[in-house]
Amino acid sequence: MLYIHHTSCISAQNTFSDNTFSIINPIVENKLIVIEPTTNQIPNAVLRRMGKAVRMGINTALAIINKEQNIKGIIIGTANGGMEDCIKFLNQIIDYDEGTLTPTNFVQSTANNIPSQISLLTSNNNYNITHVHRGLAFENAVIDAMMLINEHPLNNYLLGGVDEISIYNFKISLLDGLYKKEKVTINTLYQLKTPGSIAGEGAAMFLVNGKKQNALATLRAIHTIHTSDKKWVESNLLKFLSSHLVDGEKLDLFLSGENGDCRLNKYTKICEKIANTTSVRYKHLTGEFPTVSALSLWFACNFIETQKVPNNMVKSGLIPTKINTILIYNNYNGNQHSFMLVNR
Amino acid sequence: MKRVYVTGIGILTPLGKNLNENRVALQLGKCGITNLELFKTRYANKMPFGEVKIDNKTLQQELKANEPSVTRTTLLALYAFNQAINDAKLSQQDLSNSETALIGATTIGGMCLTDELYKDANKTSKGSPYLSSYDFGSINMYLQQRYQIGGIVNTINTACSSSANAIMYGARLIKNGLAKRVIVGGTDALAKFSINGFNSLMILSPNICQPFDSNRSGLNLGEGAAFLVLEDEHLSEKKNKYAELTGYCNTNDAFHPSSLSENGEGPYLAMQGALKLAGISSTKIDFINTHGTGTENNDEVESRAMLRLFGEVPSFSSTKSNIGHTLGASGAIEAVYSILNLVHQEIYPSLGFATPIESTKLIPTLSYIKKDVSHVLSNSFGFGGNCTSLLFSKV
Repeated sequence: MLYIHHTSCISAQNTFSDNTFSIINPIVENKLIVIEPTTNQIPNAVLRRMGKAVRMGINTALAIINKEQNIKGIIIGTANGGMEDCIKFLNQIIDYDEGTLTPTNFVQSTANNIPSQISLLTSNNNYNITHVHRGLAFENAVIDAMMLINEHPLNNYLLGGVDEISIYNFKISLLDGLYKKEKVTINTLYQLKTPGSIAGEGAAMFLVNGKKQNALATLRAIHTIHTSDKKWVESNLLKFLSSHLVDGEKLDLFLSGENGDCRLNKYTKICEKIANTTSVRYKHLTGEFPTVSALSLWFACNFIETQKVPNNMVKSGLIPTKINTILIYNNYNGNQHSFMLVNR
Repeated sequence: MKRVYVTGIGILTPLGKNLNENRVALQLGKCGITNLELFKTRYANKMPFGEVKIDNKTLQQELKANEPSVTRTTLLALYAFNQAINDAKLSQQDLSNSETALIGATTIGGMCLTDELYKDANKTSKGSPYLSSYDFGSINMYLQQRYQIGGIVNTINTACSSSANAIMYGARLIKNGLAKRVIVGGTDALAKFSINGFNSLMILSPNICQPFDSNRSGLNLGEGAAFLVLEDEHLSEKKNKYAELTGYCNTNDAFHPSSLSENGEGPYLAMQGALKLAGISSTKIDFINTHGTGTENNDEVESRAMLRLFGEVPSFSSTKSNIGHTLGASGAIEAVYSILNLVHQEIYPSLGFATPIESTKLIPTLSYIKKDVSHVLSNSFGFGGNCTSLLFSKV
């Protein structure tokens, strides 16, 4: 259990400056590219060397650190870190046949660069970690944060998830069948009965601690599983809900990671049935990426805070008059699944 | 608080392909850093490396890991993982239990396939069999699928302290009641990516590295893997217990992306935090397996941090001059070496040292000695200021 006090999010929508989603940014060439803030607090000398993942991570982190400076740990999930820099360096290795290379891209490419740069910019000597376990990188960061709060209930921690689309990992994932080959729009993403989704990127950060007072939301429980067996997903979800929902407690929303991939619908369907409530989805706004579940947690916090759900996110059912309890379900590529239970 | 014991060990390094081979080589002061025989790079004859002299084909056959997508990083991991689970006598039922977790670490992951990744990323091929093998998660995804690990599965990458953090995270899962048994470790294979990266920073030595020597000229890269089985008091009750993990601490130096601060604030706080968690005073530390990479920056800063914390620095050594810097595997490999110190009450010679660093004057242990060893500290520091110290104690 942990309490969320502040949130920030950079996504393909206006989530950083204005949370109303008044304008929906479209899918372009099967990608949803983030809207980066036009002004930011990163010193220029450092900024020009940074890749997009690091910039997104730092800008979302600083938005939170501006509100709360006393942070005892920085816990980040990112499957790929600075992928763009990584492959830029790799290209140099091959193109110059292992000649004399400049280290900038290499240093920027290390996966731990995001939390490290946050520590560096804010002179934070505390706990600092990077979880990189593909589609459960953010979930493991959440588990880490929950353990830290159990160990030190009075401390504040910065928790986040970040990943970028680089032209290179887009190509690799496209070859690997993760993205659709036909042109996709917001209206057709969930209609096409074809494999693959659309590429996305983004960052979401949370200030979390063990203090209930003035909290925006509670992340009551999390559960992760590795399987491609839908029956195993089903039995795990039933067990998760029975051990965490109190008698008679109903879910107000089911927030799913449905992503338009026809191969993965069976998992969402079974969870949707168990949740038995208004079904909401978000990947037409964010695209698919390994740590997108960080953004799903941001959406859940946003629904609870505003007590509103944008109409374009509703898949089925009526928007409840009171939004208290949300079940988030995500799966990455059908073999990494997670459930998060979020409360007012 | 629950207690965490080490009940199984698996290790593959340039010094040997199991625990005993590694121990014997350490006792004899053997160096596994040589000219390359298997790995192809332009730097092959320009500098030595800590290479595991078993080729991929042999590893694949021996491990029955013939999937076309499997990488060397995964093969090294699987080799050490198998030993660790056999050593702890874990059954398939134990492995698929929902209270058995797997926490692995890697710095380079599937990017050991630098050339293949280049072709796939630049779309000059129709797609190699490795498309889902390049990322960091691929190794533990493979181990999870092969053994149907039932609990939490995670991969950590904090550069050169990665597997020390995997061990720490695993121990915390047990202490927080989220697992009863955790298989923890790390793996990295030699890669053009890391060789060219470290070379561009001009910290690779043309000779065998000389940790803590005033004439040190950089580090050597190595490869290998180590896994440990951690179990709680209950599960380990009737088992052989190698050691207890009594302390750990993760800090950040917050100074520079690729070098440590002059005073070694991160290393100092990490060692201090590990002692504090264990409730042990600095005078009780019998031995330190240092990070000791042999770079100008690390060894001097680490020396200074040890002097700040201990005043009179206990016996210490670096095993980087035995096997090179194995990056994401080094924290786990050095945890195993620290455990060997405890189990056998012995300390191994630190190789490559002749003259102390002027400003700190510290001298590592230079010969094999038998000694009472109750508490050993193991340091791992990485790029991005990520510092972690682990404290192992005699059972």
